[in-house]
Amino acid sequence: MAAPRPAERPRHTLLILAAAALTLLTLQFRGVEPLDAFQQGVRDILSPVRSVVDRVTDPVRTVWDGIFDYGDLRGENERLQTELARMRGESLTAEADDELLERLLGEVDIAYTDLETVVVRILGTPPGNFTTHIVEIDKGSDDGLAEGQPVVTGAGLVGRLEQVDRARSIVRLATHPDFRVGVRLVDSQDEGLARGTGDQDVLVLDAGIRADASVSVGEVVTTSGGRSLFPADIPVGRVSDSDNDTEFRRTIVVELAAGLENLSFLNVVIGAPGLGEGR
Amino acid sequence: MLLVTILAGIHGGPERGALVAFWAGLLYDSITTAPLGLHALVFPSIAMAVSSLERRMLRNTLVTDALGVAAAVATGSAAVVAVGEIFGQASFDPGTLGERILISALLTTAVAAPVNRVVAWAAAAGLPVTIELRRDQN
Repeated sequence: MAAPRPAERPRHTLLILAAAALTLLTLQFRGVEPLDAFQQGVRDILSPVRSVVDRVTDPVRTVWDGIFDYGDLRGENERLQTELARMRGESLTAEADDELLERLLGEVDIAYTDLETVVVRILGTPPGNFTTHIVEIDKGSDDGLAEGQPVVTGAGLVGRLEQVDRARSIVRLATHPDFRVGVRLVDSQDEGLARGTGDQDVLVLDAGIRADASVSVGEVVTTSGGRSLFPADIPVGRVSDSDNDTEFRRTIVVELAAGLENLSFLNVVIGAPGLGEGR
Repeated sequence: MLLVTILAGIHGGPERGALVAFWAGLLYDSITTAPLGLHALVFPSIAMAVSSLERRMLRNTLVTDALGVAAAVATGSAAVVAVGEIFGQASFDPGTLGERILISALLTTAVAAPVNRVVAWAAAAGLPVTIELRRDQN
């Protein structure tokens, strides 16, 4: 049992602490630079400790996952077996597909494969309570990464760097509710702003697009570039619902080309014309 | 950090508990993706509430202590999520809220015993000796 201290004024103390915390939150949301630097410094100092803790607790986490995610793992195994069988069949036509892809990229003038990238490994979900739709990767500013850089796989856009420390970074996935990307519909050349919805593998294009734009299901969607943070012509996905019948506000659903589940490695785009100039 | 907060409230009293909780929250904010000040805003209230309830308890047993810690962790986790929602923290899946709160309460309670000793030792250090003042009856 705690011994009460003389002249304790817990309510006053609580008010002062709440005011201090609210002040810090306000400064943080207003983007005061020293606070970000402070957080980054603390994370950099504690990074070796976290690596050791991760290594020590890894067997425990594996056992935990084995017990509680057994059903998921079994389902995943079956899915991968099916996928493997499908890919074996498809490999027979791979050469023809490659030719087709090159022709398509040539037709839409996509220079996606020429972008300078850094390969990074996914470490998992970062610690904390607010970690849905973000992942932690094993490289940081020491490897040339910077906040805002696009993150892709061979299939297309995955997200962008949200937080960059010296040796680790946080990627905000495209499905994050706060994720925004300027996109272009390749056939119609209409442009708009797509956003994450919190749903798996889906973006919604509902801003900047004309209500009478001619959009077809299956149409390829790429980044639009321009004033966007993202360079132009990174594949985003395909239209899965064109919402052609709307009379007021168009909501086009885009299925992401890059599956965001079970990722192991990613590419961070570090060299692209105009990268980081926009918002 | 939430466990340290709760135990600091129990062993350090409301004021000291709130101060420890504030710094624990600030450290937690610094190493996670949460905005600086979010956990520091919530944790002191939790410490103070736990301290206040603990003082009102007539009898403590191991079971009531464990249940108290589990309830405090669950409340603290829910409070963090609620305050996070107010401050626009979208990176939280509401579908898994109950599950996450339950698991964190159970796991945290399971490791509470060894942490309790450390926090009790740390919280008691430097506290002034209680002096009993008696009025002269004559």
